Amino acid sequence: MSTDSFKDLRTTTGSASGSSKPATPAPTARPRKGEVPRAAPGGSQPPGARRKGLSERNRPLWMLIPGGLLMVVIIVVPLLLGIYMAGLDLDQYTLRRWVSAPFIGVDNFVEALVSSPLLRSVWLSVSYSLIAMVVTLPLGIAAAVATQNAFKGRALIRSVFLIPYVLPSFVVATVWRTMFQPNGVVDSALGTIGIDAGLWLNGPQTYWTLILVQIWASWPFIYLLALSGLQSVDHEVHEASALDGALWWNKLRYVVFPYLKGPLSLAFLIGMLHHINNFTLPFVLFGVPAPADVEVLPILTYVTSFQSFRFGLSAAMAFVSLVLIAIPLFVYLRAVKLDDAETPGGKK
Amino acid sequence: MRFASSAKFAAVAAAALALTACGGGASSSGSADGPVDGKGKKLSVLTGVNSQYSEQQKEWFKDIGAKFKAETGADIEFETFASANDELTRIQTSVVSGQGPDVYSLGTTFTPTAYATKAFVTLSDDDWKKVGGKDRFNQAALGISGPDDEHQAGIPFVSRPFVMAYNKELLAAAGIEKPATTWDELAEQAKKLTNPATGTFGLATGYKDNFDPWKFIWAMSVQAGNPIVDGKSLKLDDPAVKKAYETYFGWLTKDKVVDPASIGWSNSNAVAAFASGKAGYLMMTTSSSVPTLEKSSVAGKYAYATMPTTAPGETSPKGDAENAASILSGDNVVVADYSKQKDLAFAYIKLITSKEEQLNYQKIFGDLPANAEALKSLDSPTLQPIADTATRSKATPFTGAWGDIQLALLNVTVQSIPDLSNGSVSDSALQDRLKDAQAKGQASLDRASK
Repeated sequence: MSTDSFKDLRTTTGSASGSSKPATPAPTARPRKGEVPRAAPGGSQPPGARRKGLSERNRPLWMLIPGGLLMVVIIVVPLLLGIYMAGLDLDQYTLRRWVSAPFIGVDNFVEALVSSPLLRSVWLSVSYSLIAMVVTLPLGIAAAVATQNAFKGRALIRSVFLIPYVLPSFVVATVWRTMFQPNGVVDSALGTIGIDAGLWLNGPQTYWTLILVQIWASWPFIYLLALSGLQSVDHEVHEASALDGALWWNKLRYVVFPYLKGPLSLAFLIGMLHHINNFTLPFVLFGVPAPADVEVLPILTYVTSFQSFRFGLSAAMAFVSLVLIAIPLFVYLRAVKLDDAETPGGKK
Repeated sequence: MRFASSAKFAAVAAAALALTACGGGASSSGSADGPVDGKGKKLSVLTGVNSQYSEQQKEWFKDIGAKFKAETGADIEFETFASANDELTRIQTSVVSGQGPDVYSLGTTFTPTAYATKAFVTLSDDDWKKVGGKDRFNQAALGISGPDDEHQAGIPFVSRPFVMAYNKELLAAAGIEKPATTWDELAEQAKKLTNPATGTFGLATGYKDNFDPWKFIWAMSVQAGNPIVDGKSLKLDDPAVKKAYETYFGWLTKDKVVDPASIGWSNSNAVAAFASGKAGYLMMTTSSSVPTLEKSSVAGKYAYATMPTTAPGETSPKGDAENAASILSGDNVVVADYSKQKDLAFAYIKLITSKEEQLNYQKIFGDLPANAEALKSLDSPTLQPIADTATRSKATPFTGAWGDIQLALLNVTVQSIPDLSNGSVSDSALQDRLKDAQAKGQASLDRASK
């Protein structure tokens, strides 16, 4: 246990841990990583700082090589190839010898931005995702809060809540499409209360149909992450706020919600990306060619690639939308500091 | 998807680089006559999965495999694809990598696109001999095998011409002696057959189907003398096309001879409506509806007929209209250019297009033979009109742009459905949509003729 390399560590932390954690039988306990900086103020500062510097310099970074290589092969190379393809006039006529397809520079990008419905599709995708997200957030949180305290049948309710999330997109879309048929289940149900809702799967209303189904399918995801956030709230915190006389709303607003900030920011991010990338749902719900109001990004890219065989143009579209979406994403990441390990979210 | 589309494709491309490196030169030997010796070899065949008769299809694979083994000594490995999309992905991967199945089954309308990739063998006279000679096929079926007689890659395997079915009892009750031969007459008859009180409608067709709408427009336009693609120019802005849409939409909005719910139907919904005895005519159907109808309440009360060949507004077929009873529809087989065992592939095709095998296939799956003799020998009254249509089918224009044109035609219907549901499609809206379709289709055609 007491090897030479730990000798000075023990002497450094030994006295310090006594002051910060009286319960610990300090001198023989081997300090865990991370305790050192917190203990440092009590002890002598320089050795602790020195150790941190050492450990950072000697980290076995080479162990990242296999993972790094995979990242390069799976993400970087295809991305670069995709960008290169965006500069090619690659279609069914040149596909076979794709390497020698004529290089046309930025023509594809110009066509994508100027004479294709790309920008409209980006707008449709982002707006629909945002609306679906804004609606699912309170739904998910409410569901998580409602099932937080133990009651009889809670496990069952929690499982039922997860059903939409567990069902494959394809199944969800097929079922909803069947229900939304003209004179179908939804129409006749609304008919009994005197509402003629019109067409669900064609025309302007399709946009709202897509949002509705997306909400149904994705709120359990928010619920899951909110639930995990709630679990991290210590029992003592509940007790303390109760002692301070906080009523349920104040408790929720000032005590519980701060805990949820981290998980929900993450849920927002993942959810948005997932919605924007969701191909199965609109494809199965509306088919191809899609009604103009739901020609979202994935559908447009799919049609360009696999119906019109304009692979070069489609790669350009994919890249343009990547950039368009990456910018707000970057801003968001900075704002919520998800990329920062010192997130205040789950801190005690 | 924005990652996926570029990333997936690039991954394919990367794989291709690796594969072409070890592809090596292909060589094929063997002579046109005498059995091909394929001992120890294995032929790989990609074909569509038949979801309606999946058990029978497995049996057929086994059966053909055994016969092929007896003939050539080689094994066959069948692979199936579940959807057109699957097939496309598979073809793209193989085209880029130069590796994959030796023989592919293709839908007829997809043949031009496949031909445009130049990844499949264009048959020489010698090659045709190896598959049993060009003469053994129904000549109409060769119409979409290639851009002209000299350049053909698709070998016809089965025909699936589009016809209409009619309910004999309903027609008799309405005092109609024989099914309509002009589109105008069809509308008139349909009006007589329609009785909203009993929920009976003259025609059953699905406006939300992914294929049917453009087939109607194509047929009516071609019959009116507009081939849609004329050399390098697309003619969707032609009055004949507009008239076709007006007729097709008119069944719903003006004549009111189709179920209003059919704006949400696909073809299978229409078949179901007809099968329940609620429709006089079932439009755009094939012989594959036989098994369903035989088990339904209209069993024994229906018959097939060729769809009208006289364009709306005309009184008799114009020009070659008589021979545009249906799009040329069915399956072609093609041999991959990269295949190292082309002779074996031709031997397989010779086997499956022989008269006996074609008749056997018809019996099991309902698809009509592409083999001329086999087609002639079908004389059951049910199938006769369909077989007749098979010889009067016209190919859709042979261009790599057809996929886009078809999509543009279909899109006009898709975007018109809200109007259809409200009871009328305004002239200006239709005009705008046609203009849009014309622009998109023409752009694609320009690329094709570059």
